[in-house]
Amino acid sequence: MTDTQIDNSECSVIGYEEEIETITDVIKRIGSGALEHIAIISEPMGGRTTLVHEIQRLYKDRVYYFPLEFVITQSKIPDFRALSEDIILIDNCQFLATWKIGGFDLCNHFLNLLISSKKLFVTTWNLFSWQSLSQVLHLDAYFPKILLLNKMDTPVLKQVILSKYKKEEIRFLDDGATERSMFYSKIHKDVSLPFYKEKISIPWIKLNFSLIFWQAPRKNRVQISVEDVIFEKINRIARGNPGVGILLWEEAFKRREISIGSIPEYAYFISLDINESFILFIILSMECIHEIDLKDVAGSEIDIAQTLYRLVQQDLVIETNGYYRISPFALGPVIDYLKKNRRLW
Amino acid sequence: MSEIPFSNVTAEIPIKTIDANLIIYICLIIIIAYVLNRFFGYVLMQVSERIGSYRTSVTLIIPLVKLLIYAFALYYIIIAVIEPSMTQILAFSGFFGAAIGFGLKDLFSDIVGGVVIILEKPYQIGDKITIGEKYGEVKNIGIRSTRIVTPADEMVSIPNFSIFNQPVTSGNDGDLAMMVEIDLFIHPCSDPQPAMKILKEALITSKYVIISKKYPYTVLLEDFPFYKRIRAKGYVNDLRQEFEFTSEVTRRAWVEMRKAGIKPPSVIPLLSDTDNNRRESKE
Repeated sequence: MTDTQIDNSECSVIGYEEEIETITDVIKRIGSGALEHIAIISEPMGGRTTLVHEIQRLYKDRVYYFPLEFVITQSKIPDFRALSEDIILIDNCQFLATWKIGGFDLCNHFLNLLISSKKLFVTTWNLFSWQSLSQVLHLDAYFPKILLLNKMDTPVLKQVILSKYKKEEIRFLDDGATERSMFYSKIHKDVSLPFYKEKISIPWIKLNFSLIFWQAPRKNRVQISVEDVIFEKINRIARGNPGVGILLWEEAFKRREISIGSIPEYAYFISLDINESFILFIILSMECIHEIDLKDVAGSEIDIAQTLYRLVQQDLVIETNGYYRISPFALGPVIDYLKKNRRLW
Repeated sequence: MSEIPFSNVTAEIPIKTIDANLIIYICLIIIIAYVLNRFFGYVLMQVSERIGSYRTSVTLIIPLVKLLIYAFALYYIIIAVIEPSMTQILAFSGFFGAAIGFGLKDLFSDIVGGVVIILEKPYQIGDKITIGEKYGEVKNIGIRSTRIVTPADEMVSIPNFSIFNQPVTSGNDGDLAMMVEIDLFIHPCSDPQPAMKILKEALITSKYVIISKKYPYTVLLEDFPFYKRIRAKGYVNDLRQEFEFTSEVTRRAWVEMRKAGIKPPSVIPLLSDTDNNRRESKE
């Protein structure tokens, strides 16, 4: 098999240059020693699929792409040995296992296929599913290369979003709310002096303590433009999740304009019983799951219809054609809540 | 330096005139101490219930806060009555201790036991403990006694002195998670391999379980003459759900075992072969 030469400068995704380089290196080493199967892990909407599409684009002919969109059965898994491609790219591998008795058989079958295969497997996993499955199936032992997609920094997120537009297509508006969101602002104070009748205006630095404590500014940051404050706010709400950040941008960006006041900020007061938090964990770790599969996981002890109703009522979960997923803007609060209750191991 | 005889010390203690004002003042101190005790106890309990996994870290300080409040109250009462010097306090403590030692021996032992529990922490509020024949969750560590709630929802008051003469077992040692053993008995002719797999998966997919390097799990098989015992050991995420955890895993495992043709034994297992049964039998 000819080794396709890939120049890293061809990489068209922003923020994943290092990951692409690592994957490229592993692919270059195919045929020279043991295979290093790759697991790409991230939160929901954390950029896994973007990375996978980039690998697909870079290695078109060598890649067999097998995206999973819901829980599957063993019969749906193709015979990888019969394929001509030497790179098997499987997106959303969390669908290989379900949280029920007998729900790990397919994943075990897949892992056995993987270790006996001569092809390179590049797989993507939901972070929370990976963490849980690692505790029970020791997933990390099967993947010598584990790429955890970290939270995105504000400048990178800004670059990702702005790359979709031309410069003149966006107007960043200062709607007065900007000042409140800056770490400090320069103001002028009127001061009365004992020896001078008139009040004088002196420049003054007003610190925004709440923002300073929540998010310390980076070194050498002196001036923050409206544009930067807007992206800082987007990334603060999105908690470094690029998918959520892009959705927030799309919500706020209307008629080619965006202001800090137009960025929606949602508040969630989560109060759940043990069944609800368990089902919420299942939805979070699967990312998208059908009610029938949820019923299987819940068993007879949980009234799944009532539980889902409660989760939807609290805007934590959204339903589309019987499939349930975490509401994008509730992602951060849901993760915090489940961590607090030690539901995420 | 000349030594002061004890008789002189006690003779010189300037005891204030006991009048209505002093009595009201002492009553006020007792009431304030009681209210503060209840207030901090309540607030800290509420805080502990709201912070999830750090619950036991907060409950840990409740007895200490109570002890401090009572110590301050006692101090203010003493100085309100006698205004002693340090030498006098030391001398008086000796006499007071001796008097308590003879007259209120049991009460004093309980108080000492309470202080030892607070300092040494053999258990803390929120732990599941066994003292002697009693098993339950610690609800309160008082100056005189420890109150536990048994699985039968009975409030049992155990004198703090019991820690000196009875073995104390803490199931979780201050942690929110606790190891639970779940035993299933199958017919000796049934294949234990699928039964172990089913029990393992029933355990790891339970809504009550927590699994990590710190909280591992295991499934063990043991052969007995008339049955096989499969024992799963795993940690319940919140020790308050210990029995729900056992029940859920057992029920789900048996549903699957029946589907797989695994039969229960024809002989009823001995109580000594299961720790859970032993624990329940104490209640």
